Amino acid sequence: MIGAKFLLISVAAVCCAITGLASSGIEGSKHDFSGQTGSDVDKCTACHIPKKDDAPKAAPLWNQRADLKRRFNGQDKRVSRPGDGTRICLQCHDGTIAKPVAGGVKTERFVYTKHPRLFTAGHGRSDHPVGVLYPTFSDDFHPIATVLSKGTVLLPHGRVECTSCHDPHNQTDAPFMLVRSNARSALCLTCHKK
Amino acid sequence: MTRQVSKLCGMVMLGLLATLSQADESVVNSLHDLSVRGPGPIRAIHENEICIFCHTPHNGAPQTPLWNRENPRTHYRIYRSSTTDARIDQPSGPSKMCLSCHDGSMALGNVLSRPQTHPIVMTARTIPPGTADLSNDLSDDHPIGFRYDRALSNADPQIRAPELISSKLPLGTHDEMHCTTCHDPHNNQLGDFLRISDQMSVMCITCHDLQGWPHASHATSGKRTSGRTVDPVERLKYATVADNGCINCHKIHSANERERLLRFRREEDGCLNCHSGTIANFNIASEIRKRSSHDPTRRTGVHDPTENTLTMRRHSECTDCHNPHAAAPNPIGLVRGTLGPLVKGPNLRVSGISISGREVDHISYSYEMCLKCHADGVARPRLVTSRQVSQTNTRLEFQTSNPSFHPIAGPRRNADVVSLLSPLRVGSVITCIDCHNSDTARSFGGSGPNGPHGSIYEPLLVRNYNTDDFTSESAQAYALCYGCHNRDSILGDDSFSRHRRHIVDIRTPCSACHDAHGIYRGQGNSVNHGSLINFDLSIVQPADSPAGRRIAYEDTGRLSGNCTLTCHGFTHVTMPYSNAGPRKSALRPGKLSRGGRR
Repeated sequence: MIGAKFLLISVAAVCCAITGLASSGIEGSKHDFSGQTGSDVDKCTACHIPKKDDAPKAAPLWNQRADLKRRFNGQDKRVSRPGDGTRICLQCHDGTIAKPVAGGVKTERFVYTKHPRLFTAGHGRSDHPVGVLYPTFSDDFHPIATVLSKGTVLLPHGRVECTSCHDPHNQTDAPFMLVRSNARSALCLTCHKK
Repeated sequence: MTRQVSKLCGMVMLGLLATLSQADESVVNSLHDLSVRGPGPIRAIHENEICIFCHTPHNGAPQTPLWNRENPRTHYRIYRSSTTDARIDQPSGPSKMCLSCHDGSMALGNVLSRPQTHPIVMTARTIPPGTADLSNDLSDDHPIGFRYDRALSNADPQIRAPELISSKLPLGTHDEMHCTTCHDPHNNQLGDFLRISDQMSVMCITCHDLQGWPHASHATSGKRTSGRTVDPVERLKYATVADNGCINCHKIHSANERERLLRFRREEDGCLNCHSGTIANFNIASEIRKRSSHDPTRRTGVHDPTENTLTMRRHSECTDCHNPHAAAPNPIGLVRGTLGPLVKGPNLRVSGISISGREVDHISYSYEMCLKCHADGVARPRLVTSRQVSQTNTRLEFQTSNPSFHPIAGPRRNADVVSLLSPLRVGSVITCIDCHNSDTARSFGGSGPNGPHGSIYEPLLVRNYNTDDFTSESAQAYALCYGCHNRDSILGDDSFSRHRRHIVDIRTPCSACHDAHGIYRGQGNSVNHGSLINFDLSIVQPADSPAGRRIAYEDTGRLSGNCTLTCHGFTHVTMPYSNAGPRKSALRPGKLSRGGRR
């Protein structure tokens, strides 16, 4: 009995060590602008600008000039105001805004060079709705309690935001900075009952 | 320790079971799971995401379910039918999404979220030919892309009102029918990704309200469908006729006969598949091969339910006389001699022509079905026997206002007919199939099916009927007539006092003097054409008389009349006969029955 416990603990410890080694976090990820030429930002200040004078209202305080007039998946009736978890991301990722990402970085449109069709401002394209309330009474979705209990997909204020699926700090090392691997579409099927 | 391990194993097993039981209701592990671990033959080589083949969270096509594929630009050949009231258009919306794979033209792995240069590599580039490949020809598939609204259900009485349709079968945003009305691409629990089961045609009859279907043989028969004749190896989804329902005969996709979505190109194959003695009670295939038959194999593609009976080409298909959606079995043990005039189970809800020449959607009397082809239409058969007055329109021959006729459309009160066998009597009504029927018909003591499918006696007669001159009289020679008219009475000269002389001694057939159908009132009157007298011109020649050279019969009262004609070289000039008075057969029954056997 004690042997078994010890075995379990040791296995867990080894696993943690391995994942710790593998998961890179923000450092070295695409969100780490610290090494870029001409930039004087560090890992955090590219996105987070702590204002020392007044305490931040929302956790990740961000530039207020984000273009929030964009309609997110306009045909969806459930669209409402996106929350912080969406605004921050769209500061760069809506493709319309050409402005310095952070001090020193060139003023240019944010383009994903490997796949130019991405981030083309949604002209004629559609994206997963963000800022919408998670549908509570629908046969097509798992109950919100089930989703939250899994702990992978976050639904801040019961809404679906960018950060529901994406982890900007890249702690899981999943592609596209997802909060978990989407192998077998596991991330999609966390909410969608299909 | 061991207990814990077994507990753990149990939990793992439970989890597995849960996953397996859930798998059917989910796209995961269904045939639409095209990921590398998908169960079907078509799947990705490396890609392990499932949703990606159709959906993408970002930068999808501008269509609602985050669509990850280009829409096909194909122009489809769409379904057309003479019987549909729907306005069918090119497929749109969700249907086009399905067709982006299922028309077999677009690469399966070519999704919007991947660069076109690096599509998902699949085991098959496009959907290979087969049941899933609908091709750009949608004319052999159930129609989609039409509005299912009140206008449609009002126009077609066999379509239910849209409000009555189960919410499990969703229509499009403009009430149009899509692939997704019947199919749920995410749920293959019922097979074929159907939304509701198609066992006992539940799926089909949700919208199609076929009149008579609930009681039809094809909806209720528990016979097994193995041992079919035309396609013995093709698998039907269910085991019995009732369970298969519509799909016994119809194919919803890739039907061989497009307009009616039938499984076979030749209409009769769908029927003979089962009605060849293997599954259905009776062997119709052997009937239609007989010498005289309504052979449905002679024509293909001529019959149309909306055909104009006046101008249609000559044909006889099973569906001319039978409505497979309503046909029901005949009660066993029908009265010998006549089946009665009312429409029988196998002919329920068939269209026809009434005796007054009006088209009826559902016949009330079985002769109305016959009049479809044997009345006013140009396709009606030619005359077999040349007679004094000739008429090929049987509708006119059987008018109840005619001077004489066999009582098909209504009773005839002719007291001169004294030979009828019980239960027939003056005033009885018979029907076409009392004479024109299979020689092995069940209602006439045989073992075969009732109905004029085929007979060894021409023209499709239930019993032998000799029309040749110099036929030696026997019970067999005129078996057709003797089925209703007592041979003893006829040969006992009960009605016409010279019957025995003519039939037995001189050997003239019944048909020399009598027309079996009737004489139209526009061509004769009760004096010159009473008692179905209409001489056969191949046997009877004119005779010189004071009134000129002519053939004539004159009715001069009850059981009496005279003839002017030449027959077998013997000239009759107003030669009279009379049989008024007591019936001879009633006086001398014993002697007559002996004579009858001679």
